[in-house]
Formats: sequence, structure tokens, C-alpha cells
Amino acid sequence: MDNQDAHPNTTAFFASAMHDMKNSLCVLINFLEGHHAEFDETLKKKVAPMLYEVKRVNNNLVQMLAIYKVGNEFYPFEMNENSVDEFVSEIVMQNQTLLDDLGVTLELDYDKDLTWYFDRELISGVVSHALNNAMRYTKDKLRLYVANEDDHLLIRVEDNGTGYSSGMIEAGNAVNKGVDFASGSTGLGLFFTAMVAKLHKHRGKTGSMVLENGGKFGGGCFVLRLP
Amino acid sequence: MLREMLKNFGSKNISVAANAKEAITFLEQGDKYDAVLCDYNLGQGKNGQQVFEEAKFRRLIGPATAWIIVTAEKTSDMVIGAAEYMPDDYIIKPINEAALRSRLEKVIAKKSELQDIERAIFAKNFNTALTLCDKAMGTGKANNEILRIKTNLLLDIGRYDDAKELFNKILSVRDVPWAKTGLAKAAFHLGEMETAQRLLKEVISENRTYMEAHDWLVKTYQQQGDLEEAQRILLRCTETSPNSMNRQKMLGEIAHKRGDLDVAEKAYRKTIKLGENSILNTPIAHLGLAKICTEKDNPNEALQLLKNVRKEFDDKAANLDAKVMEGVIYQKSGDHVNIRKTAEELAAILQEDPNLASTEVAIEAAEFLFKAGDKKSAESMLQTVVRNNHDNDTLIDQVKEIFNHAGMTADKAQNIIDTSRSEVVDINNKGVTLAKEGKLEEAIQWLRNAKAMLPNNKQILLNFTHAAILIMQKNGKNDNLVSETRECLKRVGILDPLEQRRIQYQSTLDTIPNR
Repeated sequence: MDNQDAHPNTTAFFASAMHDMKNSLCVLINFLEGHHAEFDETLKKKVAPMLYEVKRVNNNLVQMLAIYKVGNEFYPFEMNENSVDEFVSEIVMQNQTLLDDLGVTLELDYDKDLTWYFDRELISGVVSHALNNAMRYTKDKLRLYVANEDDHLLIRVEDNGTGYSSGMIEAGNAVNKGVDFASGSTGLGLFFTAMVAKLHKHRGKTGSMVLENGGKFGGGCFVLRLP
Repeated sequence: MLREMLKNFGSKNISVAANAKEAITFLEQGDKYDAVLCDYNLGQGKNGQQVFEEAKFRRLIGPATAWIIVTAEKTSDMVIGAAEYMPDDYIIKPINEAALRSRLEKVIAKKSELQDIERAIFAKNFNTALTLCDKAMGTGKANNEILRIKTNLLLDIGRYDDAKELFNKILSVRDVPWAKTGLAKAAFHLGEMETAQRLLKEVISENRTYMEAHDWLVKTYQQQGDLEEAQRILLRCTETSPNSMNRQKMLGEIAHKRGDLDVAEKAYRKTIKLGENSILNTPIAHLGLAKICTEKDNPNEALQLLKNVRKEFDDKAANLDAKVMEGVIYQKSGDHVNIRKTAEELAAILQEDPNLASTEVAIEAAEFLFKAGDKKSAESMLQTVVRNNHDNDTLIDQVKEIFNHAGMTADKAQNIIDTSRSEVVDINNKGVTLAKEGKLEEAIQWLRNAKAMLPNNKQILLNFTHAAILIMQKNGKNDNLVSETRECLKRVGILDPLEQRRIQYQSTLDTIPNR
């Protein structure tokens, strides 16, 4: 204890500061979404990039806090059985405003009766991040595909943009293998996703993430597989 | 903000509380809310989880009210509560109107699906609740919740073999940590400590943050008498997640037992601090810390703590324990006025209910009363100890020692002990004889009276259980008698966790057919 007093726990301090910042962002996001109906179409278009950026920072804070907690072994990881229908619906609801204002259509393709075991908050963080990211790089279409494939839950976020650069795809593969050479926000998102995927284990099998090009629209594809 | 959203989708009668106190006041007014949305972080005082615990404990909300904790991030401190104090859902901020609405609708729908079951549990009709679980299974969307409730019920009423079977069924599909931990709990209750430990270690190696598994692992080592290992695990847990009152309390008790007073003191202090805002607060840390303060020659703080026990807790056994400790402190300092006063108060409490004190406290009380000069009360206290532990030779020797110490001749002491002992032996024998003669109804009635008189006598409790099993094997299961018998066995478990017959009877009880 004395030792700790002499060297203050800076990480814990940063975490609580992040928590505080996150609260401010919540107020901002709620304001932007809450007053959305009052905006006219031009204003909506103008505000959209702002909402996008605020959500991006919020996602980043979610990721940093989760990484901090998982790293220190006190993230309350909960593998519960979730309805894929409920999960997807909620993600769509949380992102609908932004999709509309950016003029992006989201196509949904998932099995309504499917249930799967995963940590709702973490996977929601991963998929929201992937969707948010895809909104930035797509032309005008996105697809969210969820299905049971080879006894894994397969989640695909596909866009009709120009696709990932080979550097990004490599970074995705590398972080999955535990090597980390992407940096900045991209690196954070990949690191977080790979960490969350690895937390999901079932009878010797582990979750994984892949970035690839192609899919239904021929653009970038984010692929998450959970055992 | 939330209020606006709720209004927008048509919620009526919305109350907005500015803080925990106000929230409790609203709930006390007895309005029946369908849902409570409560932020976790409420500033000074209680947090959202503690408000929920208070509302639930004081039954300010019924089984139909959904409780949802709203928070900027989910942390382990939030989810450390016991299963019965788990809120219905967590909402992570920010949430927009559409998502809030859909989440609320789902929670309320599930809640109403579970309503009948939870109502039965609320009324403590556990068997009805079990039947309702089976009926509701597979009919709606709450199968997972129903399964969890059912397994908890089976563990609560002591149907460990049935619980085990159900857990194994769940685990055959998927390694779910709660089910594996549940299987370990069943193993624990059946005395299979190694199995429990293996399962719990598996859970922990897959998921280090699953705190419940750590807690039960501690219990298994405690049961095996390996307090060193128990303390080691608890220290590791409290380092990463220091805000669980219950865990700090466990650490305090175990370290205290081991004589590791510094660790115990620190843990007790933390427990008291964490308990300040909690309705689930217990006086154990106050009493433990008072004892340590006495040992460390800090009588003033000890007396203050004991005073707080009286002020803060409406707990007769704890107050008795506090009284005895006060007396001992006054004896140490030679405060004759207070010694006499405490002795008189103590004698009055014990006369009213001689079975209130645990054996340990009863012995301390007797020693104090002898020294204070109240031989009569001390003797009767020790007689109760003997009656409740008539077949425990080590304890009887200890009692003899105390009599000798108090200046009683060995003959007289032996005489008092023999009389008390033979009273119990006679009572027990009559019960057993009646049962052997096939007069089972009479035997049960006889032993029922005996256990009301001597609720801490293990042998009487076991004999009652045996007679109850015999009559039900003959006439078929009887729900009331089954519950009474399970209560009995629970009591035996508290008195002597290592008693093997408890587990045997438990299993036999489970196999009695319904008629």
C-alpha cells in the first residue's frame, strides 16, 4: 500500500477521467439525437459529420475503458445467451439517425430465431465500431449479415466503398495474431476487436476477426466469428 | 433527458428523483411502478445498486417492478451482488429513444412472463415456484431466466442432486460459467470439495473476472480448514475489486481466525466503510474489529464500535455478543460499576432466550458472569451449552474447566453436567424408541417439541430428520414436513458444516417418491 501511495496509479486515474469524458459525450450525443427532429434537412446534413465524430470518440473511449479493465482483470465479462434479433435491432436503432443523415442505407440479413452466447456490451461495442467505420468509407450502402456458420456466429459488416487497403488488411491479420503494428484510432479499434474476439471461447475454440474485400457489394468487409 | 424520452413514447406517471434518498421516498409512498430506471452513479451516499438492494430488501418494490441500472460503463463493482440482488437489466449510456423504448418493452415483457414465479418466490412458496418454472419453460422468451431461477430454487431448498442433474444438462450444450459454478455449489453442499474446486478452477481459468467462482472457491478451502489458501484467494480478489462488502467481510473473518490481525483489521474497517450505505450491512465486522481493538489494547474504540452495533443493527444475537464483549472490556479495566450493570443486562437477555447465544459466545458470557459474581446465570448458561452439545466431549471438558476456575468442586461440576446431559439423552432416547416401535407420528411430535426447546442440539435435529424420512418413506412425501426437515438440515449445516449425516439425509430426502 505504501508503495502505491508513493507511485500513484496513473492508469486508474486516466480511466476515471475517461469515464468522466464519456459522460460529457453522452450529453452531447443525447442532445444531437434528442433535438434531431427539430432540424431541417440542410441542418441535418451539416450536423451528421459532427454526430459521427462524437460517436467515434465515444466508441474509442468505450474501447479504451474495456481494454483497461480486461487488462487488469476486472472487466465483468458475461457470456450470456442473446437473441440475435434483439441485438441487431438495438444496434440499428442506435445508428439509424446517423445512417439517415449520411444518406447511407443499411441492408439487414440475419436469422431472426438465432440465439448465441456472447458478452452483449462488448460485441455491441465491436459491431457499432465496425458500422461507424464503414459509414465513413462506404459510398451509400451497408450490409449487416449475421448467421450460424460451421457452429460459429458469423457477423459481417460489408460496404460498397473502395475496400480496405492491403496495409489495413495486413494490420487486421497481424493484430489477430497478437502482433500490433497499426497505430492511432485504427490500431485501437483493431486491438479492441481482437481482444474481444479472443475473450470469447468455447470448448477450445476462440473468436477471431478478419478484414477483407468483396462481399455482396464488393467493398470492404469486417468479419467477426464467435464460437 | 430520460424523462423526455419516456414521455415521448407515452409513459405515464413518471416520477423523477434527484438523489437516492428521494428515490427511496417515492418508493416508500407505495406507488406501484412498472419500471425504475436508476443511474449507478448517484454521487454521495448510496449508488444505484444499493438503492435497488434497499428497495428489494424492504419490499418497496414487488416482483412485477423492473429495475434497470443506467450507467456510462459496466464495471465489476456493479455486478458483485448476490443473484437475488441482480437488477433486471443494465443500460449503457448513451441510449436514444427508440433503443430505450425497445429495451424497456423487452424487460417488462420478460418480467410479466416471470411474474407468477417471482410472486411465488416472494411469498416463499418454493415448491409452487418450481412447478411454475416447469410450466413456463419453453412457452416464451425468458427460458434462460427461468432456468437460472429454477436452479437457484433447487439449491436453496437443498435438492442438490436434482440441481446437479439440471446443471449437467445445461453444461452438455455449452460451458456456461454460471451453470458450472452452480454445479460446483451443488458439489460443495454434497461435501464433494475436490470436485467443487476442480470446477471452480476451470471457471476461473476461462474467466478470471467471474467473482462468484472465486467466492465459492474460498468457501471450499474454508470448509477443508485451509484458511491460508482461502485468505490468499480473497486477498487477490480484493486487490482488483476492493468494493465488495461481503468479500471484505469474509477476508476479515478468515484473517481474524488465522490470527493475522493486521489484515483482519484492515478488511473489517473496509467492510464497515462499504456497509455504511448498504441495507445488507451486517454487524460482523463491527464485532470482529471490536475484538481486535480489545486485543490490541484499544478499549475506547472497541466500546464505540459495540455501541454502534446496538445503534445500527436490530439484531438480538449481535447485541448479546456486543454486551458480552463490553463486559470483558470493563473487567479488563476494572470498571466495577459497568461490570455490574452489564452483568445484570446480560442475565436478563439470557433468561428471556437462553438459546440466543452461539456456543462460543455462551461460553464467553458464562466466564464473564462468573467473574462478575452472578453464579446462577453463569451456571444456567453453561447448562444450556451442555444441553446443546451433550455429545461433544472436548466442549464438555472446556465447560468443566470453567466450573473449576470459578471455584466449583469437581464433583459438583460433574453433577451439573451429568444432569444436563442425561436430560437430553433421555429426550433423544424417547424419540428414537418411539420411532423404533413404529410410532412415527408420536416420535415426530416429541422431537419437534425437543428441537423447539433446544434448537442448537445437532443430535435432536438429526433424529427429527431421520424420523421424518421414515414416515415419508412409509406414507409418501408431505410438502410441509419436507420443508421443515430441510430447515433442520440447514441448521445442522450451520452448527457443524462437516457433519456427514446431513448430506446422507439430504440425498435420501431427495429420493422419496411423491406417493
